[in-house]
Amino acid sequence: MLLAFNMNKQLLSLYKKLRAFGYARVMLAIFVLSFSLVAKSQEAPLSAVGNPLGAPADMKLAELKSILLGEKQRWKNGNRIIIALMKTNTQIGKNTSARIYDMTGDQLNKYWLALVFQGKAQAPTFFNSTSDLETFVAQTPGAIGIVDKPTIDGDVKPVSINGQKTF
Amino acid sequence: MLINLKTKIWLTICSIVLMFSFFTLFYFPRQQGNLLINNYNTEIQNLANTVALGVKIAITEQNFEGVQTAIEFVKGDPRLQFVSMLQYDTVWDAAHSNYQIKKTVFKTFPENEHPGPGIVSNDSVIIKIAPYVTNVMSGAIQLGFSTKAIITSKEKIRNTSLIVSSTVFFIGILIGLWLARNISVPVLALRDAANRVGEGDLNQKVKHIHHDEIGELGKAFNKMVDDLAKTRQELNEKNIQLSATVATLNNTLLELKNTHAQLIQSEKMASLGELTAGIAHEIQNPLNFVNNFSEVNIELIDEMLEELTKNNFIDTLAIANDIKENERKIKHHGKRADSIIKGMLEHSRASTGIKGPTDINLLADEYLRLAYHGLRAKEKSFNASLKTDYDPAVGNINIISQDIGRVILNLITNAFYAVAEKKKQVGEGYEPVVAVSTKKIGNKVFITVKDNGNGVPQKLIDKIFQPFFTTKPTGQGTGLGLSLSYDIVTKVHNGEIKVTTVEGEGAEFVIVLPV
Repeated sequence: MLLAFNMNKQLLSLYKKLRAFGYARVMLAIFVLSFSLVAKSQEAPLSAVGNPLGAPADMKLAELKSILLGEKQRWKNGNRIIIALMKTNTQIGKNTSARIYDMTGDQLNKYWLALVFQGKAQAPTFFNSTSDLETFVAQTPGAIGIVDKPTIDGDVKPVSINGQKTF
Repeated sequence: MLINLKTKIWLTICSIVLMFSFFTLFYFPRQQGNLLINNYNTEIQNLANTVALGVKIAITEQNFEGVQTAIEFVKGDPRLQFVSMLQYDTVWDAAHSNYQIKKTVFKTFPENEHPGPGIVSNDSVIIKIAPYVTNVMSGAIQLGFSTKAIITSKEKIRNTSLIVSSTVFFIGILIGLWLARNISVPVLALRDAANRVGEGDLNQKVKHIHHDEIGELGKAFNKMVDDLAKTRQELNEKNIQLSATVATLNNTLLELKNTHAQLIQSEKMASLGELTAGIAHEIQNPLNFVNNFSEVNIELIDEMLEELTKNNFIDTLAIANDIKENERKIKHHGKRADSIIKGMLEHSRASTGIKGPTDINLLADEYLRLAYHGLRAKEKSFNASLKTDYDPAVGNINIISQDIGRVILNLITNAFYAVAEKKKQVGEGYEPVVAVSTKKIGNKVFITVKDNGNGVPQKLIDKIFQPFFTTKPTGQGTGLGLSLSYDIVTKVHNGEIKVTTVEGEGAEFVIVLPV
């Protein structure tokens, strides 16, 4: 996002200069195209990882969303669902916030604040790195986390979403 | 107004209990209530601050652990009424020139509570606000806690205070009773016993001795009473002895007075004795005249009878006139002898003590001649020059003539004795002189008796007026003469008697009498 923003800034500057030369329309098209290219680069794949004691090997995306929204609070074995996410100031966190929650980072914070305030759910634990996240999931029974690529760590198991390792 | 000990004890106890009651019923509950409320307010504020901090951390760092813990803690408190998260939004007007801060309630727990963003504390709920500020949103945590617990605590404190105050009051009553019994009663018993001892009953004892200072006081009191009784017994015995001694002393005093009177009488008799020869000499003279003139008259009567027989009436008349003249002389000298005898009789009698006008010059002269002749009668070889100088201005003064006469006689007699003794020692070449003079100066009369005898040694000057002191050999003087003279002059007549002497040269005694 930051990269896209910086690129747009430079293009905007270029646009202002070219405008002086009358190539405004052409540059505007280029500007819109670059933004969409940047936006497309954000839709990187995500993967789910879970603790062997709790998370299933496979689940539907809708179920995943329900879990991550705090609507479902326990696994079938009765273990409490513990959500682990990357912080929204990371790319993976941004992707997660946008694709799963359809919210910005701030909106996500407010969402979970509301739930916690009313005692309706336990807020996720946010991490700065995927390794920390995976370590937490491996050590916490019932934990499930969202990362960018499937892990090869034996302590956590990948959770297929709609039969796919990534989504 | 007398306040007895029991009242003082009760007043003290009541004062302490009342003060304590005031403290426990009013001051203490009020203070505790205020403390409770302050602590409660602080606790609620701290909780609100904690939640606000948790919210801030959650928003800025995406760490919900703190706010989750704080919310769980707050929700678990039974006093919680509600906890709200407020959101503050800046609302600009259409022209974007002015703005307002719009406060809205973001979320509230429990959901059935709907407190407004501007709610304030009241009697039933305490509201505390803790703001939070982040880049994403600003607002405040609004915490509402019920005051039921405080009210309940205050009631508990009030009830406890009432119970404690009542207990203290009851204990105070018991202590008052105990003190009254242990202090007031024995003290009053001691007072009553002291009063009865004061009235004379020395059989009083304090019973029921306590084992404290009051008990020791009781023991000391009993010992004091025992000592008093013993002392009284001893005093009574001493009193009896003293009475016997006083009786003995009284008898002795009576004997002494009698002896004193006898000694004085002896002194008088002694001085009278001194005068006897002088008196005899003095009486002899007028009696000689009486005898002689009587003999002459007998002869003249014989002559007159003879002339009568001769019928010579002229010679008879002449003889009769001679006889008459002689009879006048006989009468005169007879009266002289009579007055001398009367004077001596008065001298020998006790003093009447009544003062009367007396010719001092006559008195002094009479006793001078009587004393001189008296001494010459005893010592025929004794001779002395008598010098007199009587001030006519002296006249009569109010004195007891017998007493002053005795004094003058004593001084003159002592003067003659002194010169006589010196004559014996010195012999030829020594001329004894005794001078008696009187002088009136102002309102005083001075009677001086001076001699040129051996004088009085200086070491004896202070003793000569002491009773029984004498320089004469034993048997020759009673030692009372000057002592009596001193008392007569100073005590009876308010006068003075002075002595000036040079040992070996003579002495001068001066009687000073007020007019």
